[in-house]
Amino acid sequence: VVAFALDKAHAHDVATLLDRQGIAVRAGHHCAEPLMHRFGLDSTARASFGIYTTHEEIDALATALTRVREFFT
Amino acid sequence: MTFDDDVRDLYQEVILDHGRKPRHGHRLAAYDVTAKGDNPMCGDRVEVFVKLDPDGAIVETGFEARGCAISVASADLMAETVQGRGKADTRALFETFRELVRTGKCPEHDAALDTSLERLEPLAGVHEYPSRVKCATLPWHALLAALDGTREASSE
Repeated sequence: VVAFALDKAHAHDVATLLDRQGIAVRAGHHCAEPLMHRFGLDSTARASFGIYTTHEEIDALATALTRVREFFT
Repeated sequence: MTFDDDVRDLYQEVILDHGRKPRHGHRLAAYDVTAKGDNPMCGDRVEVFVKLDPDGAIVETGFEARGCAISVASADLMAETVQGRGKADTRALFETFRELVRTGKCPEHDAALDTSLERLEPLAGVHEYPSRVKCATLPWHALLAALDGTREASSE
C-alpha cells in the first residue's frame, strides 16, 4: 500500500483523474487524521497492490500520474 | 474520447483558473460573521469571512481553503455571486445551485438569480461525479452557517 501526495494537485483531483483513466485509488484522510496533521498534509492518494498486480498496471499508474501533473500545471 | 476531452467537462478552464488563483481566497481584514466548513472524511476544510451591510446583505466574502480544485473554485465563484445578497436570497441561490450540481440541470428559479447561475454553471459537470458534489457544496454550507450564526458546518 503506497500513500502519496502530488505538489500540483489535491488528492481528490488526482483520484478523479486516475479514475477516468481506469485506475482506482483511495483519496483523503484514510481515517488517519492525526497522522495527516503530523505530516502537515491535508490529504493523500493511496494505491494498493496485490499479488495479481502486473508490472504493466504499475507502469500505467506512473504514466497516468504524469498526465495528472501535466493537467494541473 | 481522449482523456482531456473526458475530464474537461468537470475541470473546465474557469474551474482550473479559479482553483489555482482564487480572487477571494483570503481572510478579510474586517468581517462581521465567520464559520468553518469541514469534511473530515475527505480532508476538505474551508473558513469563510463575511462583511455585512446594516441591512444584513453581503458586502464581501473572503475564504481560506485547503481542498481540491473543485472546492476552491466553488468557494471563489460563490464569493463572487453572493455579493449584495441577503440571507434568504443567498439560500435561494444555494438551493438552486445544489440542484444544478446534483442533477446537471438548472431547476426553475427566480430570474434575479440568472446572472449568478450562469457564473456557477461550469460547476454543473460535478453531477457526473457523485463523490465530488460535496466538494462543491462545502463552501456554501460554511457560508450559510456563518449567516445563521452557527460556527461550523459539515458536508460529510
